[in-house]
Amino acid sequence: MSHSSFDRRSFLKGAGGLAALTALGAGGLRNALAAQIADDATWQQAKGTTINFISENTPPTTAIAANLEAFKKLTGITVNITQMELGALVQKVALDFGSGRSAYDVIYADPYQIVAPYRQGLTDLNTLNGKNGLPAIPKGVGDFIPTQLGAAGYFENRKSLYALPYDCPTMIWIYRKDLFDKYHDRMAADLGFDPTPSDKITWEQYYRIAEWFNGDHVKEVKYGTGHQAKQYDSLQCDFSNVLMAYGGEYFNNGDRVGLLGSAEPGPCTLDQPAAIEAATFYQKLLKIADPGSTSWDWTGLANAFGNKRFAMMPQWHEFAGSLESGDLKGKVGYAPLPTGPKRSVNLYGGCGIGINGNATGKQQTAAWLFLVWATSPQTQLAGLKSKAGGGTPTRTSVYEMPEVQKASTPPTDMPNMLTADTMKVAWQPDHIGLRPKIPSWNQADTAVFTELSRMLAGQKKPAAAMKAAKRKVDSATGA
Amino acid sequence: MTTRVKRPGQGFELAMMTPALILLAAISLVPLGTMIYMSLSKVSLIGGLSLSFAGLANWTRLFTDPDIGASWLRTVVYFVATVGLEMVLGTLIALLVHSLIRGRNLVLSLVLIPMFIAPIIVGLLGRFLFDPSFGLYSWLLASTGLYEGNVMGSVGPAMYTVIGLDVWEWTPLVALIVLAGLTAVPTDILEAADVDGASYRHKLWHIVLPAITPILLVALLIRSMDALRFFAIIFITTNGGPADSTKTVPIRLYDIAFRFFDLGYASAVGLTMLAVSIIIATVFVRVLERREATP
Repeated sequence: MSHSSFDRRSFLKGAGGLAALTALGAGGLRNALAAQIADDATWQQAKGTTINFISENTPPTTAIAANLEAFKKLTGITVNITQMELGALVQKVALDFGSGRSAYDVIYADPYQIVAPYRQGLTDLNTLNGKNGLPAIPKGVGDFIPTQLGAAGYFENRKSLYALPYDCPTMIWIYRKDLFDKYHDRMAADLGFDPTPSDKITWEQYYRIAEWFNGDHVKEVKYGTGHQAKQYDSLQCDFSNVLMAYGGEYFNNGDRVGLLGSAEPGPCTLDQPAAIEAATFYQKLLKIADPGSTSWDWTGLANAFGNKRFAMMPQWHEFAGSLESGDLKGKVGYAPLPTGPKRSVNLYGGCGIGINGNATGKQQTAAWLFLVWATSPQTQLAGLKSKAGGGTPTRTSVYEMPEVQKASTPPTDMPNMLTADTMKVAWQPDHIGLRPKIPSWNQADTAVFTELSRMLAGQKKPAAAMKAAKRKVDSATGA
Repeated sequence: MTTRVKRPGQGFELAMMTPALILLAAISLVPLGTMIYMSLSKVSLIGGLSLSFAGLANWTRLFTDPDIGASWLRTVVYFVATVGLEMVLGTLIALLVHSLIRGRNLVLSLVLIPMFIAPIIVGLLGRFLFDPSFGLYSWLLASTGLYEGNVMGSVGPAMYTVIGLDVWEWTPLVALIVLAGLTAVPTDILEAADVDGASYRHKLWHIVLPAITPILLVALLIRSMDALRFFAIIFITTNGGPADSTKTVPIRLYDIAFRFFDLGYASAVGLTMLAVSIIIATVFVRVLERREATP
């Protein structure tokens, strides 16, 4: 996913966080890391080296950027961070691979847009992990949440490790808890079921809740639901939750194509009845959604929710941090997305960080030290506390820390952890949604969101849209 | 019959210009040659740029790709609407500004402001002003009952909006060019027409417009070249959507080249854009030359 823009509030938070993390200082982190991961000589072996890290402009990288002084004091390595929108990042990385150089040593490796098509350009991290005097990954790769390690780190099999899980935005049901509490009894009476958001609610019931809010029952919001349905990657993400909940898949053996990926996924299955049924429901849902939905990506949707236009939305869970620092602080609830005829699906959008295969010698050593540090439990904990941003941890051990567990209920200084209980469910193998990890994903993605956009614009019926998407995806994959 | 006369010093001038001409040719012809070769190749980026000859595969695909055909159709609509509106409005504004006796410079300065704003900023302005959540223009349209839907998220209005943003930004340029042409209209002929009792409409139609036709063609040429490869505002506001309704050829070319990294096919699409640009420029230049040759 992409957080393509930051508002003024986020910027001010960033400035405050920079000061706070500088005050936190390198000392504490240095001692903790030095004691638990490696000795000083190991950390200092690439002293004086400068490396470049290219990343999407995400909260975790903002937190890392604010905390870089700690890494420099620990290792003597200077890290230049370039942050940008994901599409621009993919271009720069692809052109860097094409040039045969290593302008960027550490790469924010989106599993779908970087790892799948350009994995040959990334270093196999197994060749560095604990080898030739380099530190090993603290607590081992097994500490990473298994589905995230599979989706972000590998391709086709588990032989080569291309990236370490770095962030983990996942789509969940975000709603106005204040409104659901206030109108709970009336809604329950009118609708005939308990409307409390959870994965026990079906998508059809979600539709009915949205419809209820659209009526004259409440004055706080104008619409029941909002969606990220701009003709963009966000539309495919939003739809994928419904598609997979209804039992639809992009390819046969979708779980494996999603988790580990495939260079030859076979024919697309979007023309199957379950996919068409999902598309039919999605079209119906969007007809009663906030009409602004068709021009919003994830950031636009979050802004609209913050502007109190609607009561609920499927949204990336990492937006909890910004929502909890705005006008809606304490008024927002989180739950796994509704269930369909098959299951509840929460689309995963996390990424890893990897090392450019063209980086050599000291550059590669420095890059590995940075990877170990940036994905370590201590740095992820610091990220959670960071006022500059900070995502949610990708390591099991961080969620087991007492202070992190305590932060999952308000009041908290780690707002993202308010989603922790929801995320524990959302990341279970039977709840997580994984889009296909294939080399031609960009073409396939574009085909899907373009046909969905045509369907939402009324130019195509759901069946025709799904069949057209299947034809284009097959053309892209060569099936 | 005309005879060519060799001007004195031409050889020396040519010799002095040669290094610059060679440099210009190198930076134009080398990329052009590379692009042509890429359009006949399958291009891979991994492990360094590599090209494998693919014959006419990319060109065959180009002429059988319905999406490209649809994008060309949208580009034509966009081209005609923007350039047409800019020429008419730009000429009208220039005539109005030219007719001002006092405050002309102040008005002209105000009129020219949009063209000094970077297209990417114009796109962002459009995005914010038409945002369904907090956009001022969306609110105005809804409040006045003119349009209550989602401007950027609906098929027709999205196209009208990007056309409107382009017209807003570049009409001043046409006005400026035409205004420069208006200063060259012979005042003695206009005064003679006044003496003969000609109306403003007659003077405009029979004296002013014929006099500024060459400059109008120049303005048309400049805007046409720009409109054909127009990118920034659409990319920022709608990114080609909704339902591909604003996906013009430059936006699709961007997708093919920098999202799909299908650089061979992108070269073929890019070369067709270049060919169309050359054809349009040649037609305008020929018309211009014919006008200038007419006594």
